Amino acid sequence: MHPSLRCCSARAHTPLIKFLGKRVYPSSSAARHPHPAAPAEFKEHFPQFLARMNSAESSTHTGSTSSLESGTAIYTEFWQAPPRFWKPRVRELEEDEMEAIMSGGASSY
Amino acid sequence: MLHLRRVAQKNLIRASRASTRGLATASEPYDVVVIGGGPGGYVAAIKAAQLGLRTACVEKRGALGGTCLNVGCIPSKAMLNNSHLYHQAQHDFARRGIDEIVATVSLNLPKMLEAKTNAVTGLTKGIELLFKQNKVDYIKGSASFLSSTRLSISAISGAAENTPTEVEAKNIIIATGSEVSPFPGGAITIDEQQIVSSTGALELKEVPKKMVVIGGGIIGLEMGSVWSRLGAEVTVVEFLGAIGGAGIDEEVAKSFQRILGKQGLKFKLNTKVLSAEKKDGKVYLQAEAVKDGKQETLEADVVLVAVGRRPYTEGLNIEAAGVEMDNRGRVVIDDQFTTSQKNIKCIGDVTFGPMLAHKAEEEGIAAVEFIKSGHGHVNYAAIPSVVYTHPEVSWVGKTEQELKAEGVKYKVGKFSFAANSRAKTNLDTEGFVKILTEAETDRILGAHIIGPNAGEMIAEAVLALEYGASSEDVARTTHAHPTLSEAFKEAAMAASSKPIHM
Repeated sequence: MHPSLRCCSARAHTPLIKFLGKRVYPSSSAARHPHPAAPAEFKEHFPQFLARMNSAESSTHTGSTSSLESGTAIYTEFWQAPPRFWKPRVRELEEDEMEAIMSGGASSY
Repeated sequence: MLHLRRVAQKNLIRASRASTRGLATASEPYDVVVIGGGPGGYVAAIKAAQLGLRTACVEKRGALGGTCLNVGCIPSKAMLNNSHLYHQAQHDFARRGIDEIVATVSLNLPKMLEAKTNAVTGLTKGIELLFKQNKVDYIKGSASFLSSTRLSISAISGAAENTPTEVEAKNIIIATGSEVSPFPGGAITIDEQQIVSSTGALELKEVPKKMVVIGGGIIGLEMGSVWSRLGAEVTVVEFLGAIGGAGIDEEVAKSFQRILGKQGLKFKLNTKVLSAEKKDGKVYLQAEAVKDGKQETLEADVVLVAVGRRPYTEGLNIEAAGVEMDNRGRVVIDDQFTTSQKNIKCIGDVTFGPMLAHKAEEEGIAAVEFIKSGHGHVNYAAIPSVVYTHPEVSWVGKTEQELKAEGVKYKVGKFSFAANSRAKTNLDTEGFVKILTEAETDRILGAHIIGPNAGEMIAEAVLALEYGASSEDVARTTHAHPTLSEAFKEAAMAASSKPIHM
């Protein structure tokens, strides 16, 4: 019955609809563009906005839009990174311990 | 020796960091702090927590949900629904064969307002529960930027004792929403008693005899409908030549005005309100015709000023964060909702785009996804608008006027609710569905609905637009019978071939 129905049909309908399914994103972050609802004058000056954004970022060390997952955050000092990245993994010495070492143990007495 | 110096230096730096943070708690910075607990903010906060980010949401209203839940969409829908039932009982039941009730029906306004308040309270408490379930820290306070990563918090009444005085965050999302725009030029001052904004219009203690609504947009028409149904004589004054606000199709706007006119609302289009004077318990509005400058005085017991809303950033000290704003007070962002500070994003009414709760929600989710993965998605070409009058009006995508202006060749498929079986059985047949398609491909470019259930039905059009459906795709989809949604299918058939029932 189905083949005959298809024969009788004037044409087969090909849906225009596109089912996108589960979103899979590339590993790199999307490029920045002007906001679609932004006024025209802002879109024209978007490169300048982007430049100001980048210069503002370089003046602060925290905050990164996609750094939480990708692990691409760049730290200028080791203590800005989470402790698990600190090397060598040493037990933190107390002041009196350091004094003891530097004084050859004399400070202990 | 060198090693010991480095260790000592590290300890010193850690101690200095801890002291400069000056936090009320010794906790680590949040991954995300959202400022504002409205539809954009609270959804962003929950989504962030769901994605595994340590999240807090700062809200100064004392209740979550923002304008929408507390003094906007939700309370107005409660009033629209209940005033519609009252109006039906008075004016519509008799023709349906329900006689006795008409003589006994009466308005209990305090009870109606209480029902509205109960709906609001239930929903705002529900969000607090969602915060707890998703482990979002709810900070009851007013946030102010100290830097791009630090916020000062001023606790509000009812805040927890351990409310921090400062919080630090790797990422901050500004979602502070909007506020009622004052009357342009300051000629009319809102007192929320006689001259009210949408907030005051939801709290009137008695039905005004005469009400003038300044502004024929969505808010003005919805609130005008409520008080008209409850017995007020309502006149809508609109500066433009059509009602319905931005984005409404001209044909729909004309039909809308005609239907509301039949319900008793009066319209003064192309009319500019100049001033208002309060005298002897009345308000006298001076108005002027835009075309010929002819002046007239309008008398009212209550005036509703519904001329729009503006972005709200009061007390945010946004300059301290280095975040740019435009000359209309909107926070400037890129397509990833990022402000001029990379770790600060902004969503909802306080930035670009239409001031709609569902737009803010989508942006909240997308902004958090950008933080988490560097990718997110909001389709601004498929954001629906709805006017919750009766009949409802809804639309998505392009209007005929926009397609003409863009030089796009298009087809129109229309179907009237008068030919829809369910609308007939409901004795609710005013309005139509209008679908606009690209002539070459049959792809749906816009849908405009005026009629019963239009606010629900537009979801089908949004889905069609989102997935690039043709009108034939929709026309070949089975719609349950008898339903109002068959009118949408028939309009799609009218665009792609011919409708069956008309």
